[in-house]
Amino acid sequence: MLEIDPEVIQTDVLVVGGGIAGLMASIAAAQAGASVVLAEKANTRRSGCGATGNDHFLCYCPPAHGPDMEPILKEVRNSQVSGFHDPSLTVRFLEQTFDRVQDWHAWGIDMRPHGDWEFAGHAFPGRPRVWLKYAGHNQKPALTQQAKKQGVRIENHLPIVDIIVREGRVVGALGLNVESDTPVLKVIRAKSVVLATGSGNRIYPSYASPGWMFNIAQCPSCTGSAQSMAFRAGAKLVNMEFPARHAGPKFFNRCGKATWIGMIKDPHGRPVGPFVTQANRWVGDITADVWPAVFTEMTDNGTGPTYMDCTGTSAEDLDYMKWGLENEGNTGMLNYMAGEGIDFRRHMVEFMQYEPFLVGRGVEIDKDAATHVPGLFAAGDPVGNFRADIAGAAVFGWIAGQSAATTAGQIKTFVDTETDPLVAARRDLFSEFMNRKNGPDWKEANLTVQQVMNGYAGLKSRSETLLNAGFKYLMDLKSKILKTVCADNAHTLMRCVEVLEMIDCGEVIFRTALERKETRAMHHRTDFPFTNPLLAEKFLTIRRENDKVILEWRDKF
Amino acid sequence: MPPIIDIRKCKPCGLCAQICPTDVFARVNPKAVPEIRYPEECWHCNSCVLDCPQSAITLRIPLPAMMLHVDAEGGT
Repeated sequence: MLEIDPEVIQTDVLVVGGGIAGLMASIAAAQAGASVVLAEKANTRRSGCGATGNDHFLCYCPPAHGPDMEPILKEVRNSQVSGFHDPSLTVRFLEQTFDRVQDWHAWGIDMRPHGDWEFAGHAFPGRPRVWLKYAGHNQKPALTQQAKKQGVRIENHLPIVDIIVREGRVVGALGLNVESDTPVLKVIRAKSVVLATGSGNRIYPSYASPGWMFNIAQCPSCTGSAQSMAFRAGAKLVNMEFPARHAGPKFFNRCGKATWIGMIKDPHGRPVGPFVTQANRWVGDITADVWPAVFTEMTDNGTGPTYMDCTGTSAEDLDYMKWGLENEGNTGMLNYMAGEGIDFRRHMVEFMQYEPFLVGRGVEIDKDAATHVPGLFAAGDPVGNFRADIAGAAVFGWIAGQSAATTAGQIKTFVDTETDPLVAARRDLFSEFMNRKNGPDWKEANLTVQQVMNGYAGLKSRSETLLNAGFKYLMDLKSKILKTVCADNAHTLMRCVEVLEMIDCGEVIFRTALERKETRAMHHRTDFPFTNPLLAEKFLTIRRENDKVILEWRDKF
Repeated sequence: MPPIIDIRKCKPCGLCAQICPTDVFARVNPKAVPEIRYPEECWHCNSCVLDCPQSAITLRIPLPAMMLHVDAEGGT
């Protein structure tokens, strides 16, 4: 039987996930006077999509942009990150971005490495630039140090697997200690909880290499945990039916396409987009933002491949680009390119569109980062009605930490979560996984989830019959996994839990994709091939109440 | 398989195993050269390479992640 650690953690605020949003939430909550425990699946120094850095931070910066926020707000609303924002959250975010930028600068992350506040990339010629260029290579160690300075207790290698809810409010969580080979369950009592587990990956197969599951652009350890736990805890999820995709170098999957300074070209060396004829450090070729499907479409219609061509970029701007890629965290890619003799001055690198993943699709929050469940907050990539990547994680992480501390301050006593029936149920289930022999491992389970999701809730065709069939197959698969999957140590047990989280996300994707009877963005219903204007100002939410799943349409706020 | 530890340089401190975002290394014996137990789960993020105090780690990028490229016409 799996051990349950007799030492229960008791804390005002529990932060789940130690990426940018989680670290910022922890620091804010601790500064507000709360006791804070941050539980992280890996190690906060180097975990999540921002593990090795970032070089662009969406920001309204009064010293650079002037006193009027409106033009910047307009630019953000037209950008690739804002398709599924509740408009009031965009405003709340922009109002606080520069405060967070100044915090980071004070904490040792160089936010103006070239002297002035410098805005570059993801930009159109002649329009305001909104992405602050910064030297983020040390962002995770610097934020970790700041969290420790504020007294945050960081528990590394402790992924949280369940939120515990009593009488409608959050009272704690259950963690799985994977520090050693022997997994141990860890019970936590908390007055409020912030979910900040990052994006949701490995739900769809890697389009570059279906046979190499971890060759993906986003961190493969981020598997939709927040969406899964929030849904099970009764919180609302939103926009889950919309696939999100990134683009970047083909086969070497990496984020950071806007850090590349070059032109998107066809095989004959002709630019494919109309925006610029020469890329420079301030304005690259934004075709990849406006028309990310260019890489897929030109392959499908035979006119591709499509390349990133930096050979026309000036030597100074190429140096700037390499500096950017280092800070973006792409040193692994740069080392590889150097070793292979791939040279920005000589070669065009083929780009592609990557597989669907969850970012800006997930937990619904209000302007204080609160979910629909009292005591439960969320921030960063798993939020479903706001997205601004690193900057979004920083700003709403901060807001979530402050809100969670305020909520915790209003609650007098802790609840003895260790007696919750969920703890025993999870111990029994995980013990079964560990005791079984000769069944499938997590990899088999994960690959099959990917097959079902890509086959029945994919990009080309979704329809009532396909979605219903896929949903049934996913539930068949879930029951097979629960009955047969095997784990042999803490690591493989953690991976099994991830697969179950992906299945929860998959269930929500099927249910919401069935409910949205129209085609919009990358949700392509072959039985409803039009976009319904009556749904333009509405979002679709989903939540669970006891055993009932409730789908609701609401106006944007 | 990625990553590769140069055992002549490694002075077993266990940092790579502690900080790996995808838990590629086993953390069983902090005094020994870490075992690369789950090489296929490497994300090629370079954290271990960047943080190793002995510069003892390199990545070998697997073939499925080969970067596709061609000579550009205007290249120098």
